[in-house]
Amino acid sequence: MAEPIIEARGLTKVFGDLVAVDHVSFQVRRGEIFGFLGPNGAGKTTTINMLITLLRPTEGEAYVAGFSVLEEPHEVRKRIGVVFQEPTLDRHLTGWENLWIHGRMYGIERSELRERIDMALGLVELERWAHVPVRKYSGGMMRRLELARTLLCEPEVLFLDEPTLGLDPQSRAHIWDYIEALRRDKGITIFLTTHYMDEADKLCDRVAIIDHGRIISLGEPEELKRSIGMGVIYVRLTMPERAKELVGALMEEGLAQDFRVARGARVALFVRDAPTFIPRIFDIASKLGVPISEISYHMPTLDDVFLRLTGRGLREAEAGGPWLSRRRAMARRWRA
Amino acid sequence: MRPGQHEASFFTALSVMAYRQLRSFLRMKARLVMSIGRPLLWLFFFGLGWSSTLRGPVAQQALRGMSFMDFVVPGVVMMSVFFTSFFAGSSVIWDREFGFLKEVMVAPASRTAVILGRVLGDSLIAILQGVLTLAIATPLLSQPPTWGLPVALSAMFLTALAYASLGTAIGCSVNTIETFQLIHITLAMPMMFLSGAVVPLYTAPLWMKVASVLVPLAYGVDAARTAISGVSLMPLWLDMTVLACLALAFLFIAVKAFERTTPL
Repeated sequence: MAEPIIEARGLTKVFGDLVAVDHVSFQVRRGEIFGFLGPNGAGKTTTINMLITLLRPTEGEAYVAGFSVLEEPHEVRKRIGVVFQEPTLDRHLTGWENLWIHGRMYGIERSELRERIDMALGLVELERWAHVPVRKYSGGMMRRLELARTLLCEPEVLFLDEPTLGLDPQSRAHIWDYIEALRRDKGITIFLTTHYMDEADKLCDRVAIIDHGRIISLGEPEELKRSIGMGVIYVRLTMPERAKELVGALMEEGLAQDFRVARGARVALFVRDAPTFIPRIFDIASKLGVPISEISYHMPTLDDVFLRLTGRGLREAEAGGPWLSRRRAMARRWRA
Repeated sequence: MRPGQHEASFFTALSVMAYRQLRSFLRMKARLVMSIGRPLLWLFFFGLGWSSTLRGPVAQQALRGMSFMDFVVPGVVMMSVFFTSFFAGSSVIWDREFGFLKEVMVAPASRTAVILGRVLGDSLIAILQGVLTLAIATPLLSQPPTWGLPVALSAMFLTALAYASLGTAIGCSVNTIETFQLIHITLAMPMMFLSGAVVPLYTAPLWMKVASVLVPLAYGVDAARTAISGVSLMPLWLDMTVLACLALAFLFIAVKAFERTTPL
């Protein structure tokens, strides 16, 4: 295999008594779209901030485009582009001016820069807005402008932190198209973080699932989904206290390979053959006298993978307690 | 397009940051109007108000024979340069708040060039304002400045550089705009009164004269007044030397304060 374009070895970041990123190691191959999938506060942004030289790791090391993030941050900066979670534009300036300043900061010659700005604005379909102050842009337009900005210098690696956070469905689809085009047409390696499993599933060649600062699974989305079986059956009970009893019986019959009891009396069963198993589950439940209020099944998603690995759904993990939001605030503080 | 490896020279990074500060400022219409309006308010209400009162021998002694307008115009000009450049440091806090600072931090540009560019841009804004104020106030002077104009400009530049640096250093070190405003007003008010910009120091008590020696703005005001109205408290060379040294020292502090905010 060719030399990885990003390599992290035991990357760790501790804020006070909180371990935001806990000995994370992974490799990203040149030209792939690699995703960090996990709930908010899992350590995704902190990891990105260490890779893009904005945060000093507490422990461990990382190499981007062949250079050590710690030893040669300047060389790393020359080769990367970043779109942060929150906009980093000068709102008083126009879109064109924002791109101009960026291009000049990266040393692109004036005449060439003018051409590139036109091209980049065209790519994200913002030509008509070029000379409008950014504060009049919508969230999706700002994100597109930031994408265009990173394209001015054709980075070797593009880091996207939650590229579609807070965007409406059309804008999301738009951004996805751009990201795919970038990889396809320009061969740029893309490292992105997301807490949307559909996004990771659709865009990424490989996904690392991250929770509480640790990578709990890594692989191609298909491979990860296959690892939990052929289907997932969700059973909702009217008497949640009897979930254990029912699951015990089902396991005994060999109907489920594995299960998780999620919140709201919902039981997830990881099975080989959902359609034929459903009637048998009803049989067993009625024999035991455990009433089922709802049953559904679907092909496994990355959400199910996360559920199986952590016992929580991605969305449940999101609605964490106060310590989670604190963790998030800490992670955001890149100038710690 | 050719992939990877882009980097701006020191000078390019510096000038593009200066350009950005200027451009951003010129876009904010309200700030623009305010920054010209405030010194004019001082000139008209404070200046015209006192100039009809401060005649007679006592006033003549306090003002070393200048008309009150000859005294106060250089003072107000320098005061506006001072307030604008000092407050411009708060832009660092806004840029952190609105994320623009991250965009700068992740760029392969020299941190020193970035901060020098910012300070230079802020200084140019302040000078622009000083020049406009002076132009408007020139008819109020007993005679328009001639040889003194370049000297006054240099004094404005050094004063602006010193205070834009100080403001930027403070902006790098505090987290909220409220804290900055508090520090700004706490430092700026005594500096303004001790500088001799609007209150004559020629006949002031000794302690006040001593205190004013510690205020960089005092040298700027004295230099500008020497250049515009021909009356000085200290020799011009001393004013300019002290100003230049202070500007350099504050610049150095600003560079260090900015570097401290970045981990790598």
